[in-house]
Parts: sequence; C-alpha cells; structure tokens
Amino acid sequence: MEKRLIKKDALTGIIGKIAVDTTVYAPVKVEDNVLFKVLEKGDEPLVTFANSKNAPKNFFFPRSEVMLRYTRTTKGMEFSGGEKEAGEAVLFGVRPCDARSFVLLDMLFDQEKYKDPYYIDKRQKTTIVSLACAHPPYATCFCTSVDGHPVSSAGADVLLVDLGDQYLAEFITAKGEKLLKYFGDAKADAAADQKKEAIAAQAEKEIKSHIPAKAIKPILDVNFEHPFWNTIYQKCLACGTCTFLCPTCHCFDITDEMKYGDGRRLRNWDSCMFPMFTKETSGHNPRTSQKERWRQRTMHKFKYYVDNFNAISCVGCGRCVMYCPVNIDIRKIVEDISKL
Amino acid sequence: MQNPYIPYPVEVIKIVNEVDTKDIKTFRFAFVNKEDEEKYKYIPGQFGELSIFGKGESPIGIASSPTQPGYVEFTVQKAGVVTSALHEMEEGTRMGLRGPMGNSWPIEFLEGKNIVIVGGGFAFTTLRSLINYMIYGENRKRFGKITVVYGARNPGLLIYKEELEAWGQRDDIDLNVTVDKGDSTWKGREGFVPTVCKEVAPSSENAVTVICGPPIMIRFTLPVFFDLGFSKENIITSLEMRMKCGIGKCGRCNVGSKYVCKDGPVFSLAELDKLTKEY
Repeated sequence: MEKRLIKKDALTGIIGKIAVDTTVYAPVKVEDNVLFKVLEKGDEPLVTFANSKNAPKNFFFPRSEVMLRYTRTTKGMEFSGGEKEAGEAVLFGVRPCDARSFVLLDMLFDQEKYKDPYYIDKRQKTTIVSLACAHPPYATCFCTSVDGHPVSSAGADVLLVDLGDQYLAEFITAKGEKLLKYFGDAKADAAADQKKEAIAAQAEKEIKSHIPAKAIKPILDVNFEHPFWNTIYQKCLACGTCTFLCPTCHCFDITDEMKYGDGRRLRNWDSCMFPMFTKETSGHNPRTSQKERWRQRTMHKFKYYVDNFNAISCVGCGRCVMYCPVNIDIRKIVEDISKL
Repeated sequence: MQNPYIPYPVEVIKIVNEVDTKDIKTFRFAFVNKEDEEKYKYIPGQFGELSIFGKGESPIGIASSPTQPGYVEFTVQKAGVVTSALHEMEEGTRMGLRGPMGNSWPIEFLEGKNIVIVGGGFAFTTLRSLINYMIYGENRKRFGKITVVYGARNPGLLIYKEELEAWGQRDDIDLNVTVDKGDSTWKGREGFVPTVCKEVAPSSENAVTVICGPPIMIRFTLPVFFDLGFSKENIITSLEMRMKCGIGKCGRCNVGSKYVCKDGPVFSLAELDKLTKEY
C-alpha cells in the first residue's frame, strides 16, 4: 500500500487542487452546521471538525432523485430512463463511521441479483477520502461497539490520519491511488506507522460509549413479542429525524409528479417511523402503531440486516442519539434488550 | 446493467369486465418492443409492477400463464390512484410494466403431486395462472389429480366465467365453483369455501394445497385441510404487502427478515410459521 506524509497546513491546498480537476464534496460550515457540499471556488473545506450533521449517504442515494422522465404526446406517454449518469467525484473528509456505512449500503444496493444502478453508478465513480478520528468527537460515539473503529479504513479509498504535526495518507484502493499525485512524494516510514498505531489505540480508548450491540441478536430472535416493545415508543413523535440522519437507513418511496404534460418519477427518502410507510390501499396497516414501527427499526438494524447480510446496520455515529427531539437513545434500547 | 426500475412499454390490447360491480377488470398487455417479451419470462405466482406515468405503480399478480405467449394479463380491482387510472384506460393505451418479480408457485415441488387449488373472490388471479399452466398440453401429465374450489360472494362476483365454463367441461379437473348466496339464475353450488372444501374432502395423500383468498376465508379453510391431514409444508399461499421497488431495496414489505417482494410472495405455512406475524 502506498503511504505518504504531508504537512498539516498543506491539506486544504491539496483538496483545492483536486477540486480544480474534479468535483469535490467536502465538509464546510453552513451557518451553525457542518455540511457536505460541492466545493466551489473560494470555499474553504473544513479539516478540523467533529462530524457533519448529515450523513454523506446522499451523494450516492440522494434525498430526492429522478428515476425517469416522461412527456405526454399524441401517441401516449413517451418516457426516457433516469438522470444523466454521474461524473467522477471525490468525497473528502468522511469520518470512518460514515465511510463504513457505504460498505453496509453496498450490501443492499449492489446485490448479486438485484442491482440498483442509480446508487452503483455514483458509488463507483466517487473516491472516498476518509479523515480518521484521532480524538473521537462526541460522547455519543460508539463505533467500536458495531464493528467500527475511529481510525478504520473500511469503506475508504484514502485514509488520512492526523499524526500531530503532519497527516499520514494511506492509499487503500486502486481508486484511491489515482489521487497519489496530489500528495507529494514524502513516503511514510515505519515511525509514521507506529505513530498511527499509537493514535489508533488512544482513539479507541477515548470512545467511552459501549453497547452490547452484537450480543442482542439471539435475544431479538426470540422476542418479537415482548412487553419491552411497549416501553420504548411512547414519547416518539414519528418525526423521522433518526432515519433521515442515519448513514445506513435506506428506505425510500417512489412517487410520480406531473405538470403540463411533463412528468418525472422520483425516489425520495422514506422512513419506517411514518404511519403511511406500510399502509395499504385497503386501509390495512401491518404496523399499526409507533410500537410496531420502533420494533421494526430496532429489528432491522440489529437482527434483520444480520440475518440477510451478516452485519449490523448501524455504524455508531450517534446522530440519532444527538438529534432526537425527545431524547430516545438507541444505546439505551440496545442495553435494555441485552437484559431481557 | 439492466435498470430494474425502468418499465417495459406495453399497450393495453384487451380489457374484460369481470364482475357485475364493474370494479374488477382483466387487462391484457402486449409489449411494444417484441424483444421485451423475451425478457419478461415469468412463472405462475410472480407479479409485476403496473406503471402509469403521472400516477405511479402498483404491484399486481400475473393472471395469465407463460403458456399463453404474445401477452401478459393482470386482473385488477379499482382501489387506489393507480388502479383507478388503469380502470379509466381504453384499449390501445400505452403504459409501463416492470417485473416479473418475486418467487413463484413452486412448480417443481408441485410436479407429480395431486394439486388442490382453493381460491376466494378476486384473489384467484395467480391461481388461474397456475391452473392454465398445469392443464396446458403436455404439462398436464406432470401433475396428478387437480381439484379446484373457487368461491365468491354471489354469482356476479365470480371472475373468469368463460374459463370456469371451459374447465368444467374437462374431465381432468375436479372443478367446484361455489357462491355464498346464489340468485334466481344460479344453478351451481351454494356455500362458503371452507364448507365446500370439507364436502369435497380432497385426499392429503401426495397432495399439495395452494390457497389464496381473503384472510377470513383462509382462517376458516386451513383447519379443514389440517383435519384432512395436510401438513404445513404442503399448504402454500401468497402474501401481499405495500410495495414500491419490488426488488427488496425500498424497505417496506418485509415480514421479519424476508422481503415479500423478492423472498415471497409465495410461502408455505411452514415457512410462514417461522416468520413474525406482521402482515
């Protein structure tokens, strides 16, 4: 694996140079939030930030995406498929938890039999540059409980690790190596590797939140019906914030909209927290209350995804914990389930 | 990469009003591009997404049999936005069709066995596909005795009336059509489906029951088949859930870990027992 060392203050310049040649999505400050956006001339990408408010999944799975367009003609509806294909891009500054979400989303969108061309096209053309968490930013960070690590390269094409006075850049994949030319020629030595290992060990120690996420699968297997489910949903407002901010939530709706003979079919993010999500035309709804919806969300992440893909569908970013307006905490739910 | 979200263009070539209440019609579609028909290879029990631009999509079981080339048929009840728009359509209209989706009736498993088909009301569509498949030409030899029990609330609500007539003429199907309540012209059987199943009493010896109908009918019919000695492995049904993508991505039609759209819609009772009761 190719490794380079760069001076700390060189990083924004490097990103700027990449942005001249290709589209770069990077974290920037927008009012009081850190958000990923397309880097335009004059934009300063953030290199020291906690994490973005939104998960960067929207670059592969946009909140709203055109699937096809159609026009009414005298011969009926003429339609053409999809958006124009995505261009090459670099997604810079992804935290390891969020980078890992792409590995989890690949399992769903890029299956053997059923492939999702919209997701796959953008995913394949985007190079992910991760920024390791030398100091995990939040008390709510729990990536190590769900197979993640603050200095993990899972899902990344390039991993940047802050060594204090410089960055270590590891070029994980062939796609990542295409960015080598921007990173100068100071090869990393064994000392840099050792430093990285020490930082990784320290970062792991700084994660204070630990939950038995992997232990609850056998408990969930046999407790679909349990009084516990009556206790977690009551204060839920069904606002959907948790699912919209979640890096691994992937549920979507497909809707048509039409105006003056021109129309399009869109897919929009949807949420299992919404009553309409499963409501059928007849009026029947298999998930009648927020209790069933919370059970679904919990089961989907910690049991169903494990059944289907052998992976927990949670990366431990903590967004749902931080931004839930009524302070529902998935960590507490997991903890409580482990005691059933 | 074939884009599974892009429908094949199809043309409505025939519309049949199935019932007196005029809210159930069978739509026959022909593919606008002949090569698409080759790609749309289906097995009885699968479904498709009927795609109406400007309205949306609706997942509907395929009512025709692959032994009927040149077209695909869907029997649709007028209910929501898409199906209402469909019911307004005339022959010659073009729209879209996705699929085929889902697993299917387990044809290989059914081969060499006696088959009991039980249908109620308008949930007879993919069963019709299966019957037409099994009785087609040389296919008939691959299956044992075929018993059909089909019921509707009244004679006017029976669908596929001409076909029922034709099947009734054959000596290789034991056809039992029943209505809950007949009218002045009805000469056939009266009685609920569970009762008729009890009367017909098909042997469970080397036999499989394939059942589709309203939940209330299924609830009362299953005990009849248990009493006849049918095991849960040998009773097969098809589920419905709200769906969008049809390929296990949009996340709404799961029952436990299984997606009805891609792991179903067909399940045996033994398989359903292993799933959560959330449907």
